[in-house]
Amino acid sequence: MPGNRTRKSWPPRRTAKSRPSRTAAAVLALCATAAALAGCSDTGESTSAGGTVSLRYTWWGNPDRAARTQEAVDLFEKKHPGIEVQTSFAGYEPYKQKLATQAAGGDAPDVMQLDYRMIDQYASGGVLLDLGKQRSVLKTTEFEPGLLATGKVDGKLYAIPQGRGTETMVYDTTKWKAAGLEPPKQGWTWTDWADAMRELAAKTGKPGGTDPGQSEDAFEIWLRGQGKSLYTKDNQLGFTAADLTRWWTFTDKLRREGAVSSAEQTTQLDGSVENTPLGRGTAISETNWDAPASGYLVLVPDGISLAPMPSNEDGTPGQYFKPSMFMGVAADTGHPKESAQLVDFMLNDREAAKIVGASRGIPVNESIRDEIASDLKDFDKTIYDYQAPFEGKLNAPPQAPPSGDSALQTTFQRDYDQVSYERLSPREAAENYITEAKAELRS
Amino acid sequence: MTTTQIPTPARTQDVDPPTKPPRRQREGAAWVFLSPWVLGAAVLTLLPMAVSLYLSFTDYDLFNPPQWVGLRNYTQMFTEDPRYWRSVVATLTYVVIAVPLQLGLALVVALALKGMRRGKGFYRSAFYAPSLLGASMSIALVWRAIFNDGGTVDNLLGTGGWVNKPGWALFTVALLTVWQFGAPMVIFLAGLQQIPAELYEAAAVDGASRWRQFLSITVPMLSPVIFFNLVLQTIQAFQVFTPAFAVSAGKGGPADSTLFYTLYLYDRGFVASHMGYASAMAWTLLLVIGAVTAVLFRTSRSWVFYASEGDR
Repeated sequence: MPGNRTRKSWPPRRTAKSRPSRTAAAVLALCATAAALAGCSDTGESTSAGGTVSLRYTWWGNPDRAARTQEAVDLFEKKHPGIEVQTSFAGYEPYKQKLATQAAGGDAPDVMQLDYRMIDQYASGGVLLDLGKQRSVLKTTEFEPGLLATGKVDGKLYAIPQGRGTETMVYDTTKWKAAGLEPPKQGWTWTDWADAMRELAAKTGKPGGTDPGQSEDAFEIWLRGQGKSLYTKDNQLGFTAADLTRWWTFTDKLRREGAVSSAEQTTQLDGSVENTPLGRGTAISETNWDAPASGYLVLVPDGISLAPMPSNEDGTPGQYFKPSMFMGVAADTGHPKESAQLVDFMLNDREAAKIVGASRGIPVNESIRDEIASDLKDFDKTIYDYQAPFEGKLNAPPQAPPSGDSALQTTFQRDYDQVSYERLSPREAAENYITEAKAELRS
Repeated sequence: MTTTQIPTPARTQDVDPPTKPPRRQREGAAWVFLSPWVLGAAVLTLLPMAVSLYLSFTDYDLFNPPQWVGLRNYTQMFTEDPRYWRSVVATLTYVVIAVPLQLGLALVVALALKGMRRGKGFYRSAFYAPSLLGASMSIALVWRAIFNDGGTVDNLLGTGGWVNKPGWALFTVALLTVWQFGAPMVIFLAGLQQIPAELYEAAAVDGASRWRQFLSITVPMLSPVIFFNLVLQTIQAFQVFTPAFAVSAGKGGPADSTLFYTLYLYDRGFVASHMGYASAMAWTLLLVIGAVTAVLFRTSRSWVFYASEGDR
């Protein structure tokens, strides 16, 4: 049981009361010793010998991101001899679950990478430090105000966006051209997209793309094109069963025609590019975020291109610049100042920015973005060039999703499984989703 | 620490003869020696269980203090959650398929091994090996690769993947469990060797066929062991988690066909952060397993034969 925490420790400790007998006393003495050994050794003090401060910094991501982050951290340690940083990383799903357990146990890492979906939950749960109080060491003057605001909950700055990403339709360049199609241009519509999928399927014999019906992200973009949103300002659902029925009817029809991937293919999606139909070579295109799209490079030997997401029929774009990940500091860190220094270094230091590149998305820090543009190489440059034409043309990002959204993303996928395996009609599945979502958001 | 209730059993000291140390003192020594176990059971099992019972009546998201909601988790589970019932159906289907298949296979292999003269030790180890490997995540991942489309089975049989078809996925997971029949097999083998050879000799003299001997001698004499294996494997099957988690990449798919009870419990607790709801699910599972075991024990009176009871 972790003791000596500032946060409410639960369950509450009880004081020992027992009949005064020698036996009980002996047993209790043993208990106390064991407890001291097992639980109370971790008091949150992490100052090691020699007066150096030790920080824990964790993130999720692939080995490339890890190598670049570690290099930047080494530089930080060199510039701040008194601070030692212990790093660790994992894939997104295990990271999410581990962090939740650590945070609940009052043992969150000093500096942590956060997703948009985590901020509301962690900030309102008292896990995160108000970074507004660390302005002396942590500068945010070079950040786009709109994106910076995405890290605020109730007016307090709990997390700072590191990079920004936007959704894209990734496609196999060679096969797309071989089918006689033009590269998609900004402003192409969902109807154009559906026609392209059918055309590809007819010409290549493979589905034109991965069925986007399972993706809450793709649905959000379709919805925003129509001026709606996933969630309202007061964290209720921003769409109706009728909206979702229309989306699922649209994708389900394409699936039945063979224009998008079959249920057997779609159900294998697990968040890694390796298990996507495009990655497995069973489809020509699919929608994904731009930063992780680098993973397709080794899987699609003919090369890939990034296309804008389809717009609404009247040309309204649904995609937006999303803060792709955030940095936050634990509320119960023993070293708020040093932690803030590390955050500042990762976000504002020119040398660190050059090392990290676009491995966390294109930097949100505007001066750094302009400075490193010419240095970007390979896929970092592809992403930069993909994002550049959108500058100033996309609608503002939605506010941080409510804490239930993380679970709803999976629910969305599961409910669509029922549609694509033809066990429920789009309307029935949509109504199920609305019921489940309302229950999730209520609690 | 909450081990405040260590019972101090000795209350009377009147009967002890004066030459021995007082009874209380002797029992005290026993408690000291027991203390590692008592501590472990109290702190690591009983306390968490009590906490989870409390949490099952609350709304608890890990970060904010639990809010008392009475029976709401339970009513929501039984009346408002279609996915809960899907997980119940998937689990029951799995138990009904996997347990008889596994025990049947274990018995067949044990019978074959019993009659073997040479190489028994080798084959016994070989058949047991999957049970050593099977609990690991890596075998489940290999399983997924073998039965996925483009995997070994697809290439050999041309059936496409099994793990991505709702009608087949559960069977694939059950197959992984059945394959790990080592533990019940070893127990069966031990049970078979306990059956006195005279019984078979007498039956053979009377002209009973092998099949007749199996039905009239092996099955009744082995029935306590069959019962033991049945209870143990049923309890384990209700709690199956790892294979389904790995084979369906944690989703219980396709189309919730392998969404076993524990998988859904994990999903509610650790993915959706509804620890209260997950605790309610856990306690319901405990009660159901208890009830099923009680039913098994009740039916056992009519089919389990204990030789030591003599003829009834």
